[in-house]
Amino acid sequence: MLLGMETVELARLQFALTAGAHFLFVALTLGLATLVALLQTRATFGRDPVHQAMTRFWGQLYIINYAMGIVTGLVMEFQLGLSWSGLTKFAGNAFGSALALETMMAFFVEATFLGLWIFGWNKLNRWAHLTLIWVVTLTAYASAFWIMVANGFLQHPVGHRVQDGVLHLGDFGAMVANPAALVAFGHILSGALVVAGFFMAGVSAYHLRRRTAEQDFFRKSLRVGITVALPATLVTATFGGIAFQTLQPAKSAAWVGNAGRMAEAQAEMVALHGPGDYLPPVAWVQSGAMTMLILFALMFFFAGLSFLLMLFRPVVRGLRIWHWLLTAMIPVPFVAMLGGWIFREMGRQPWAVYGLLTTAEAMSPVSAGQMRFSVIAFTSVFAVLIVINYWLLARAARRGPAGVTLGDRPIEAAVPVATF
Amino acid sequence: MEIFILAFFALGYLVLAGADIGVGMLLPYLGRTSGERRETIAAIAPFFLGNEVWLVATAGVLVGLFPKLEGDLMAAHYSLVVVLLLSWVIRDMGLWLRGRVSGPRWWSLWDGAIVAGSWGLALSWGLLLSDVLLGMSGPLALLPALALAALFATHGLAFAALRLRGTLRERAAVLSGGASEVRTLALTAAAVAVVGVLAGLRLPLEAGTSGALLAPVILVMMPPLVASQAWVWWTFRHRVSGPSYL
Repeated sequence: MLLGMETVELARLQFALTAGAHFLFVALTLGLATLVALLQTRATFGRDPVHQAMTRFWGQLYIINYAMGIVTGLVMEFQLGLSWSGLTKFAGNAFGSALALETMMAFFVEATFLGLWIFGWNKLNRWAHLTLIWVVTLTAYASAFWIMVANGFLQHPVGHRVQDGVLHLGDFGAMVANPAALVAFGHILSGALVVAGFFMAGVSAYHLRRRTAEQDFFRKSLRVGITVALPATLVTATFGGIAFQTLQPAKSAAWVGNAGRMAEAQAEMVALHGPGDYLPPVAWVQSGAMTMLILFALMFFFAGLSFLLMLFRPVVRGLRIWHWLLTAMIPVPFVAMLGGWIFREMGRQPWAVYGLLTTAEAMSPVSAGQMRFSVIAFTSVFAVLIVINYWLLARAARRGPAGVTLGDRPIEAAVPVATF
Repeated sequence: MEIFILAFFALGYLVLAGADIGVGMLLPYLGRTSGERRETIAAIAPFFLGNEVWLVATAGVLVGLFPKLEGDLMAAHYSLVVVLLLSWVIRDMGLWLRGRVSGPRWWSLWDGAIVAGSWGLALSWGLLLSDVLLGMSGPLALLPALALAALFATHGLAFAALRLRGTLRERAAVLSGGASEVRTLALTAAAVAVVGVLAGLRLPLEAGTSGALLAPVILVMMPPLVASQAWVWWTFRHRVSGPSYL
């Protein structure tokens, strides 16, 4: 299959697979960081051992997931220069600022403080330790924000000026206030909370079904998960609804499948940019959006029902079919996320920067052989690592609080020396 | 100003991450048993995440302030950068995953990933810098690349000597002998930085146009960024006294 594809198709496949893999992990990271920070806040103020155990257990799952998010993110960031140097050369002076600020204002601090949070457990003052997880969470939000500013620019370029055939920064405020960025940021942030809420509820339900000893622990966790998932689903849908109002004409026409409007959008682009095919792949756009919307309906009704059921303690303890369904729901928000992402990005095609630079023009001068090598190498390495990481995540989730190693001892405690 | 910012983050990466890459390269030498290797990893565990973000920041500076150079540099060394990234990924995964399961085969697998990834990273940097510095590519470029890998390894030894204790510390001091550990590390760090500066001088450092807005923001961000890292360095300033979380 790879042999028949054009280099630009391979580069797109490579970026899509990397971004898709990255998205699976960062969505959970973003949401779970918030929940862990909330749990640690309660644990730090209340000193309740159950809350402390919850912080460590969910924190451990958060870290397992985080590592995979980093490595896919690294490869994604470098791919911009590797495969899409046409894009960075044409638009780097404009939207590159958002990417640079993401590394400075967000990721740098996030990763530095996350290291301190992990390795400084029982070593740092507990208030300092609590501050760390909040800084990690807020910088994770900031990271998502700047990435969406960059992506929003590609979807709907604003705040730039054209000079000497390339883009330059014009009005930075306009770029940051871009509705295509802000609405998407709200959508993704709340979507990440849906992912984490269902994850927490589903893992807890597994343990309640298995009658794990820590009943109180998982009853509370289940409550946190559902209490977050239900409103987050609504907020996600609200931002999504607003986003539907800001779609590009061609994406919107492809989504409703209106041949007249598609022809209109095509004619408009031809008038502006000369002959060419300016329509996105309709099947991808529609199936991405449909997946997202159908799964939203499922999640919304299921979260609503679960919210009612969780009010009755005997049900929380004993309704095993519900436990089973909650666990089975864990992958659903992930799939919805990917569906929404495919809708947004496929719907932008054939543009890399909407109306300004096509995806084909954004390509680096790289040979098909080089591209095939990297697609195969990245895909196989990531496929293996994703399987291993999900296996480890599931294993740590199944083992429950007893198997947690995060914060289980003073990290650099003095080795006890026998004095007899 | 843009050049200063780029140099700051790129050199920061080479000096800081160079040490943990070096320790990874020499993991089988420093740690002869699985337990020793875990203790050796504890020397770099609290640092490697905070070290590699300097390269992420460097990439951010390139795309924001030097977009043309970024595209030219990476696309021209496509396969090499791909190998560099793969090595980075494999090494990081080795560090993250090694302690997740107990068992000699699992440990050996990820020890292997750490060592292979660290060597891959050092040699890719070596080849990249050989091309930028000396204009050398092809099999002959392996010579300067090996020299640079040896420099990373020496730098790693100097760092390990400062962090480890007992037998491991003695092994790490194999080259420096009785010399002061701090001074040795300063020397290897300076050598790494010099290579970085020389390579930088050979690059066409033509800044883009967003510096007027971006450069002052980054300059203001630098002190808090360094302070956050300094907090890590201060927290883990003592010698390793046993295995860490990883």
